[in-house]
Amino acid sequence: MAHSSDLILLVREKIDSQALVAKLKAPEDGAVVVFDGFVRNNFKGQRTQYLEYESYEVMAYAKMRKIGAEIHAKFPVHRVAIVHRLGRLEIGETSVLIAVTSAHRAAAFDACRYAIDTLKRVVPIWKKEFFAGGAIWAEGEKAGQEAISRGNESTS
Amino acid sequence: MQIRVLFFGQLKEITGVAQEDAELSEGARVDDLFERYGRRFPKLEEFRGSIATSVNQEYADWRTKLASGDEVAFLPPVSGG
Repeated sequence: MAHSSDLILLVREKIDSQALVAKLKAPEDGAVVVFDGFVRNNFKGQRTQYLEYESYEVMAYAKMRKIGAEIHAKFPVHRVAIVHRLGRLEIGETSVLIAVTSAHRAAAFDACRYAIDTLKRVVPIWKKEFFAGGAIWAEGEKAGQEAISRGNESTS
Repeated sequence: MQIRVLFFGQLKEITGVAQEDAELSEGARVDDLFERYGRRFPKLEEFRGSIATSVNQEYADWRTKLASGDEVAFLPPVSGG
């Protein structure tokens, strides 16, 4: 399966989720599963004012493309969109959009879940939360290979 | 040999360095490079356990040997999504 129609992007402008999903869908698909992650107005009881995302962009692109390739190898899906926004985001704005099309629902659900879970462990992107009283970097996950294999090691 | 060094997120704020070039002796490893910055910015050491490193945009071990022209990044816990 060619991956040339996948959409892997880091953007600074607003993500138009509906337009993106409409563009991804094709007549041979029977399903699209979408994960739309957007900015929450609170963190641990504090009211969030806005967020800023930064990235190691060259590496982030490489890792996002790798997730796309892994999805095609693991699941019988048609197309994958992985789009992450950087810069300042207001409450309610989409920070990450993942959409997967396939002939049948199971592959699209599984692939979409795999994409967001892997992105959160592997793609070098950082979120800073701004509150009335200051700002903090989000508590993330230690990045990299150890994290990827954690699921496989949990029972050993 | 010359190595390009990058810091991100909280680590960039601690060091005040987003990117710079460092001169290291042949055979140096990722942890040698980190120790150098740890001496310059002692607060970095507190974060070592949570930091991942990359060499040429690929996750790397602290013991990875460096070559001239390598790009090394120190990455705090990631929080995309």
